[in-house]
Amino acid sequence: MLTKGTLVYIGQRLVLIAFTVVAVSSVVFLGIHRLPGDALMSERLRGSAYQALLHHYGLDRPLLVQYWDYIVGVVTRGDLGESLVNRGLHITPLVLRELGVSAEVGGLALIFTIGLGLTLGIFAALRQNTWLDYLLTTTSVVGYSMPNFVIAAFLILIFGVWLDNVTGGNFYYQLGGWRGDIGQLWLPAFALGFPYASIVARLTRASMLEVIRQDYIRTARAKGLTEFLITVRHALRNALIPVITILGPLVIGIITGSVVIENFFGIPGLGKEFAQSILNRDYAIVIGVFTMYAALVGLANLVVDLAYVVIDPRIRY
Amino acid sequence: MTPASLRFLKAMCVAAAGSMVLAACGNNPTTSTNLAADQTLKFPILGDFGTLDPAQLNAETDSEIAQNVFNGLVKFDNNLNIVPDIASAMPTVSADGLTYTFKLRQDVTFSNGDKVTSADVLYSWNRAAAEQGAYATNLAAIDGYAKVSANTVNGGAALEALLEKKDPSVILSGLSAPDPSTVAVKLSGPAGWFLSAIALEATTAMIVDQKVVKTDFDNWWTKPETAIGTGAYKISSYVPKTSIDFAAVDNWWGSPKPTLKKVHIDILGNAHSAINAYEQGSYDLYGYGGYSNAPVDDILRIQGTANEKSQLLLHPKVRTTWVAFNLVHDAKRPAAGPFLCPPQTKAMEDTCSTPAGAAAKNLRLAFALAVDKTKLATVVCHDIVCAPATGGLITKGLIGYAGDNTDPLAKFDAAQAMSLLKQGDPDGSKTKGLTYTYDPNNPLNASVAQFLQDQWQTNLGIHVDLQPVDHSAFIHGYLAGKYVLNRQGWQADYNHPQDWVDNLWGSITGCPDANCGGGYDTKAYDDAIAAADALPLEQAIPKYQAIMKTLEDDAIYIPLYYSQGAFLIKPYVKGAGTNNFFDYYWNQIQILSH
Repeated sequence: MLTKGTLVYIGQRLVLIAFTVVAVSSVVFLGIHRLPGDALMSERLRGSAYQALLHHYGLDRPLLVQYWDYIVGVVTRGDLGESLVNRGLHITPLVLRELGVSAEVGGLALIFTIGLGLTLGIFAALRQNTWLDYLLTTTSVVGYSMPNFVIAAFLILIFGVWLDNVTGGNFYYQLGGWRGDIGQLWLPAFALGFPYASIVARLTRASMLEVIRQDYIRTARAKGLTEFLITVRHALRNALIPVITILGPLVIGIITGSVVIENFFGIPGLGKEFAQSILNRDYAIVIGVFTMYAALVGLANLVVDLAYVVIDPRIRY
Repeated sequence: MTPASLRFLKAMCVAAAGSMVLAACGNNPTTSTNLAADQTLKFPILGDFGTLDPAQLNAETDSEIAQNVFNGLVKFDNNLNIVPDIASAMPTVSADGLTYTFKLRQDVTFSNGDKVTSADVLYSWNRAAAEQGAYATNLAAIDGYAKVSANTVNGGAALEALLEKKDPSVILSGLSAPDPSTVAVKLSGPAGWFLSAIALEATTAMIVDQKVVKTDFDNWWTKPETAIGTGAYKISSYVPKTSIDFAAVDNWWGSPKPTLKKVHIDILGNAHSAINAYEQGSYDLYGYGGYSNAPVDDILRIQGTANEKSQLLLHPKVRTTWVAFNLVHDAKRPAAGPFLCPPQTKAMEDTCSTPAGAAAKNLRLAFALAVDKTKLATVVCHDIVCAPATGGLITKGLIGYAGDNTDPLAKFDAAQAMSLLKQGDPDGSKTKGLTYTYDPNNPLNASVAQFLQDQWQTNLGIHVDLQPVDHSAFIHGYLAGKYVLNRQGWQADYNHPQDWVDNLWGSITGCPDANCGGGYDTKAYDDAIAAADALPLEQAIPKYQAIMKTLEDDAIYIPLYYSQGAFLIKPYVKGAGTNNFFDYYWNQIQILSH
C-alpha cells in the first residue's frame, strides 16, 4: 500500500503543509499586530510599568524584528513564544496539550459522524420508501438544518437543566480535570458530529441506492450470497467512495466547529483557547492557535487523501 | 479526704483549668469538633493567573490567590486594620516621619524551610522596585526609588546579576539591614500612606526567596517546586488554564494554623457554569479569587430559591464608577468638547471654578443632575451588583468616604439640570454631536451607557451617541486624552485615600507619559495632594476630603455607582467571607461535617 510513489506524495504534502503553516502564522502575526489595543494595558499598568512590560516581551522593537525572531523560533525550535496575559506560560506545550483535549472530542465526533451517518444512510437505503426511510431521512434533514451551537444549546437545556437531577449536570468537561472521561465527552461530541452525520447519512443513502441497483449486486444475489455480505462487502465499499470524498471538508468542519462547541461546554481545548485568546487580546496565543489549526487542517486533509488508497485500490499516488 | 487525694484533686483541677485556658488560647479560629474528615476546599475561578510573582502582580484575581502564599512585613487584617505580619510589631517611626524600623519575627520560614531574614526583605523590595511592575510605585516613597525605577535592565538573568552584586542602579538607597532581624527604611519625604502601600496583599512588598527566584528569575512562580513563599499554603500542582492545587504548609509559623489541608481551584471560563456547578455540589464556594461579579440573573434566581438564598453573601467592594468629562484641550490631550475649563497656566489658581469657566461648569452640572443614580442602580443592577454612588468618589466603607448623600453631583434634579443647560448652552450648539465612549467588555458598562443616553435625552433633550470601544483600546484612548465624555472608574488597591487621589487627576498622574485622561490639573490641586500625602492618616483625612470636595465643586465627574460583590458559601464552610478588599485567608476556613 505504501508504495514509493505514495511516500513521495506524503513527503511533498508535508513540505507543502509546512509552508502553509508558516504562511498562515505570518499573515496572522502581521495582521493581528495591526489591531488597536493590546493585552497589557490596564487602569493600573501605565507609564514606566507599561513600558517595562512591553520591553520584557520585546514588543517595543520594530515589527519586522519581532516577526523574524518569531519565525526563527517556530522553525528552529517549534517555539510559539510566551503568553502576554499569563506571564511565563509557554504556548507550544499549552496548545499541544489543548490539541490532545480537542482531539478527544473531535475523534469521538468523527466516530459519530461516520458511524451514525453510515448506519442511518444504509438503513434508509435498504428500506427505501418505508416508514423507517422517512424517519431517518427526516432526522437527517433536521440534523443538517441545525447549526451545531443550536444542537448544543438544546442538549444543555435537556441534560443540564431539565434532567439535571439525573445527569447531575456533570457532563461539563472541566469538572474532570484536563482530560475528560467518556461520560463527559459524548454530549459535546454528539453536538459537534451530528450535523455532519446527517450529511453523511444523506450521501450514503443516495450512494447506496445507486450501488444496490448495479449489475454486480444482482450477480452477487444470483450467486446466493447473503444479504449481509452483499451489503457490507460489495455495496458499501463502493458506496463509501463519495463519502470519503466529503470526509475532508467534514473533518475540517469538525475542527473549526470545536471553537463553538468547546466554549459551550467549557472544554479546555484548542477551540476554547482560540476564542479566549482573541477576547483577551493575547496575540501570542492567537498566533499559536492559528498555527496549530493550520497544521491540523493540512494533516487532516492528507490523512483523508491517503484513505482513498485504502478504500479504492484503483487510486495510486 | 486524705491530704494525698486532696493534692491529687487540686492537681486535676489545675490541669483541667490549664487545658481549658490552652484550648481557649489555641491558634484555630474556632474549636469545632465536628470537622469533616476531608479538609479540601474547592472553588472555581474564571480565568488563569496573569502572574503570582509579587513583583509583577497586577490584578485582584491574582492577589486573592497569592495572598495565601506570600507575606509582607505588615498586612491588613479582616477589619482592614494594619497589623504586623512578618514583622514582630508595628515599626518604630522617627520623629520626622522619614525612618521606619521594622523588627522581624524570629520564627518565619519559607515553605522550603529557609529562614527569613532582613536580607530577604531587601532583596524582595529591591527586585520589585527594579522590575517596575504595576505596583512598584507602592515602594515609591523609599529613598532611591526614582533612580532604581529608571533602570533599563530587562528582567531575567541581567537583573538578577545586578541584584546579586548589589549594583547601585537596582538598590534602593533608603533600605538597610542593621542586623538579620532588623530592616530600616528611609523615605525620601514624609508619606503617610507608606504602611498602607506595603501592606497591600500579594504585591511588591511581599517577601520572596532569592534562592528559588534566581533559578528562573521570570517564571519561578509557575512551578510548584520553586513557587516558594512564606504563606500558609504552597502550590502542589498547576495545570495552566485548567486547575491549580494548594497544600497547607506543615508547621507553618503564623496563626491561625491552617485547618484546610488542600485547596483545589478549577479555572473555568464562564460564571454561569461555575454557579451551576456550585449548586450541584461540585464546589464549596463561589466568588473567591476575585470573581465576585456574578451574573445578575443567577443572583436573582438564587435569591428566589429557598434552600440557597441563605448561602448568598452580597458585600460592598472597592470600585466606584463615574462619567468623566474632558476638561483640557491642548497638545497633549486631543479631545475638545463643551466641558473644558478655561485655558490655564500652572501659576494660576483653579480655573474650573472661575467665572470664565462657569458656562462649562453649568453644562457639566446639568449632565450630572440629569442622571437618576438611584434608578440606574435599580434598572441596571437590580439593586444587587451595585449601589448608587452618593458619598463621593471614594467607595462606601473605605477611609475617606464622605457619607451617604453628601455628594451634590449625585443628586437627581431634572428641572435644575434643564435650567443649567439653558445657561451653559442657550442655543444647543455646544452639546450637539456629543459622544459617550465606553468599553462593553463588562456588560454592565453597555447597560449603563444606554441608561445614560436615555436620561440625557429624556431630561435634557440632548442626544448623545454611544461609542463602544474594546477595553484595551479604550484604556489607551482614555489615557491619551482622546474622549470628551466617557466611562471611568477606579478600584482601590488599599484602604487609603492616597490610592485614589494620586491615580486619577493632577500632574501626579504623569501626562503625557502615563495618564492624560480628563485633564484636571491645577497647581492648587497638586499642592493639596502633596500636602495630604505627607501627613499621617488621621491628620490627612480632612485634607483628602477637602480635595474630594474640590472635585465636587468643580463638577468634574458624574458619580454613578459603587460595585457590590456576590459570594456563594455552603453552610458547612466556616470562616469564609470577605471584606471590601479581599477574601478572608484560607487558613481561617474550616470544612464542617456535612
